[in-house]
Amino acid sequence: MHVLVEFIVSLASTVGFGLITNIPRRSLLPAGITGSMAWTVYYLVLQVNHGLILPNFFAAIVIGILGNISAVLFKVPVNIIYVPSLVSLVPGGILYLGMRSFTLGQESHTSEYLFNTLTIAIALAVGFVVAEVIFYRIKPLLMKLVQAQKTSD
Amino acid sequence: MEKSITEDDVISLCGKVGKILLTSGAETSRVESTVEYIGKAAHYDIACHATITALFVGTNNQSRTHLVKVRLGDWNLQKVDEINTVSRKFVRGQLDFHTLKESVEKIDRKVIDFNWPLKIIGAGFVSVAPMLLFKATWTDLSYAFFVGIIGYLGAVLAGYRIKTPYVAAGCGGFIVGFLAAALQFSGLGSSAGNIIVSALMPLVPGVAITNSFREIIDRNTISGVVRAVDAVIIAGSIGAGVVIGTSLCKLIFAWIGG
Repeated sequence: MHVLVEFIVSLASTVGFGLITNIPRRSLLPAGITGSMAWTVYYLVLQVNHGLILPNFFAAIVIGILGNISAVLFKVPVNIIYVPSLVSLVPGGILYLGMRSFTLGQESHTSEYLFNTLTIAIALAVGFVVAEVIFYRIKPLLMKLVQAQKTSD
Repeated sequence: MEKSITEDDVISLCGKVGKILLTSGAETSRVESTVEYIGKAAHYDIACHATITALFVGTNNQSRTHLVKVRLGDWNLQKVDEINTVSRKFVRGQLDFHTLKESVEKIDRKVIDFNWPLKIIGAGFVSVAPMLLFKATWTDLSYAFFVGIIGYLGAVLAGYRIKTPYVAAGCGGFIVGFLAAALQFSGLGSSAGNIIVSALMPLVPGVAITNSFREIIDRNTISGVVRAVDAVIIAGSIGAGVVIGTSLCKLIFAWIGG
């Protein structure tokens, strides 16, 4: 039940950010589904592992693979899928909290939050790299599928 | 017919393409590869180097270089997509050089945007952060929906009026902080902190900082670092705005109540 709520809210979140960043209409739904799948994976991994790195890492892998697949299927640059589907994962809120503590002069909080931001951002970036390596393995298969569909049309 | 394309034409078109891509939020590696593809398709050996503030286009083994200055822009991924579509068509030979030039000019001039009601609803949905589900109360999250919309609108409108960098983000933070504190002090919301974090989601540069790390890992060190520093300073101005907004609200409530 919780998972379903998480899925729906992150779908709305991703589509919302897609609207703000002006992504082409045909990529709204694939981006939304990519984002909410990634968030669901994040949520499920978080139940097992309470760290910062693993949940973000796996979520980034999901975004990387699904994003690349939908980029091929819907013929959009892959960044257009990445940007909105990242919105619920990225450490924006923590970065803000860090800079707020900085403004208020609380040094220990500042360093903790900024460190967390760094950890999450690196976990996500490494996840993308791994996803792209995996995707290069799947790509020939996907291309074959797309070609087959084109010829049958 | 190919003879009618001069080197200058190709370089200036490539500069324009790169500029549109960079200001609409494409990654630097994508900008470089798109520009070089276009050059190759026009039978010129174009080399392109993109950083986030400038773009260099030139032909290999020649001394001529075209420098385009770029300023960091807002996200407009639709433009990235349209440029990508026309450049792919050109590379495949479905468009000739002059139509490509025309359509790039058209994309550059066109204001592509979703209409405001859609954007407002979008900002509202982003403001309900999945991070806080089951941590914040549902009433707080529903307040965050509206506070986020107002904060986003404030930041965008301030961005139109005030050209000083980072002030717009600070205005957004100020509005969000003020409203959230007002909700808490008036007893409607239970935690101002949760409302603020949730409602700031459309404004905070989280995606920018993640992309900057992707660029650093991709060895685009300069633009990655520029993006990261930019993101930190945006977050800082939002933080300062929130602090000022909350304190002001506290003052007002103390003055009314006391």
